[in-house]
Amino acid sequence: MARLLLKFESTVVKEVPLGTRPVTIGRAPDNDIPIDNLAVSNYHARVYSEAGRLVIEDLDSLNGTFVNDLRIERVTLKDGDSIAVGKHHIIVDEGHDTALPLDAFHKAPVPKVDETMVLDTKQQRDLMQQVAAMGERSQIAPGRVRVPTLIVLHGRTDRKEYVLTDRLTVIGKSDLATIRLRGWFAPFMAAQIHKHDDGYYLGRGDRVPCINGEPITRPAQLKDGDLIEIGRVRLKFLYRD
Amino acid sequence: MRIISGARTDVGRVRKNNEDNYRTDPELHLYVLSDGMGGEASGEVASALAVETVIDHCQKAAQDKELPLVGERKPELSDTANRLASALRFANQKIFETAASNAQQKGMGATIVSAWLIDRRLSLAHVGDSRVYLLRAGSFDQLTGDHSLVADLVRSGIMTPQQAEVSEQQSILTRALGTKRNVEVDADEQVLIEGDTVLLCSDGLTRMVTDPEIASTLETTPDPQKAADRLVDLANENGGQDNVTVIVVHLAPEARGLWARLRRWLNGSS
Repeated sequence: MARLLLKFESTVVKEVPLGTRPVTIGRAPDNDIPIDNLAVSNYHARVYSEAGRLVIEDLDSLNGTFVNDLRIERVTLKDGDSIAVGKHHIIVDEGHDTALPLDAFHKAPVPKVDETMVLDTKQQRDLMQQVAAMGERSQIAPGRVRVPTLIVLHGRTDRKEYVLTDRLTVIGKSDLATIRLRGWFAPFMAAQIHKHDDGYYLGRGDRVPCINGEPITRPAQLKDGDLIEIGRVRLKFLYRD
Repeated sequence: MRIISGARTDVGRVRKNNEDNYRTDPELHLYVLSDGMGGEASGEVASALAVETVIDHCQKAAQDKELPLVGERKPELSDTANRLASALRFANQKIFETAASNAQQKGMGATIVSAWLIDRRLSLAHVGDSRVYLLRAGSFDQLTGDHSLVADLVRSGIMTPQQAEVSEQQSILTRALGTKRNVEVDADEQVLIEGDTVLLCSDGLTRMVTDPEIASTLETTPDPQKAADRLVDLANENGGQDNVTVIVVHLAPEARGLWARLRRWLNGSS
């Protein structure tokens, strides 16, 4: 499958597969390849398939679109062509292998192992924007906040309901516990819930908790409606709007 | 349960200076490790300043809860984790200011990893690509995310971990102490259980020794000091390309003999 490789200096930072849909390039965030740079027009260029060929079309951009250093209006593309938009380069790869070519990473001016470099602010900002631009499109519609909540179905705890706000939630008898268990035999740190970027993970402490009847073997992500059992305590995890 | 630890730093087989530094406070269960960089051995200055500042700030805070935090408090983290992050920001300021006032130290910087174990809650704070790992029941996992270019590319799915390992860009950091006036510190925490082993290390270890070898060494060497020594030896045996520093912390079961139990009862510990 053909794809476009967006490069920052000599590092490939984004890969866009070329399917049946046209691919747009420009400064506006709704482009397939968003490039946040003043030299790039909001809707700068478009790549699409026509009669089995790849075509690139400049969308009346201010600074122009260049293929192999020639300014174009509309041309067909072939494997290895280099598209320049502002200061960014996009390489056409009609390759048939699935992995990124390793030499995409080896062409950098080589900092040897004994040299540590810290990216300067401008390089870092440019690079991070591009890396961030390819982060997942938001999973949650803006405006809808899901509040992670634990409801106590059974067991002696200090409250009946808990809203999870901390990075680490400890369940146990310890002073450090948010969900305080009561009773002589309650363990100090029975289990823990850890907040990651992609959700909440239930992990073991002195006890191995069960999710929906299954004991966990590793920290496990909690889904809406999951039933948690730790000893005789039963909790339900859910997201409230 | 007893918390025991061991540590070792070594210049390695290739470098002239050791620009790594570490400090521990075994009473507070506080452990800090730093890998410095910069010309003319200013890396040593940076990493020494880093670990000293962090330990001092945390020790002061342990005596004085009202000690102000450097930077903002994150309510989703415990006081301990916030204090560690504060210490790292303070160290950043110190290194940045020192570099600004000495021409030879311009641009010097350092990575830092810090761990503070209170009861069984482990608080971590780090900047850079030195790491913290957890060994638990045969699973060996990295707890910190590297602040390096290749780590960002791997996280975004552009590069595989295997490509990252051989990449010539792997020493490019996206964050370090001392290179900017303000730095974003990553902090985290989790609950440990008896039998766990925590490892802090500079990349001089992980570039030379594979994860399975590290895990296996930790598993088969219960004494943390011996484990630390063995890991450094392994790094050197495999080439010792860089300075190497390790801190090993182990949550050992209580001694079970009658005398030990009597001692515990007299001390009133839980």
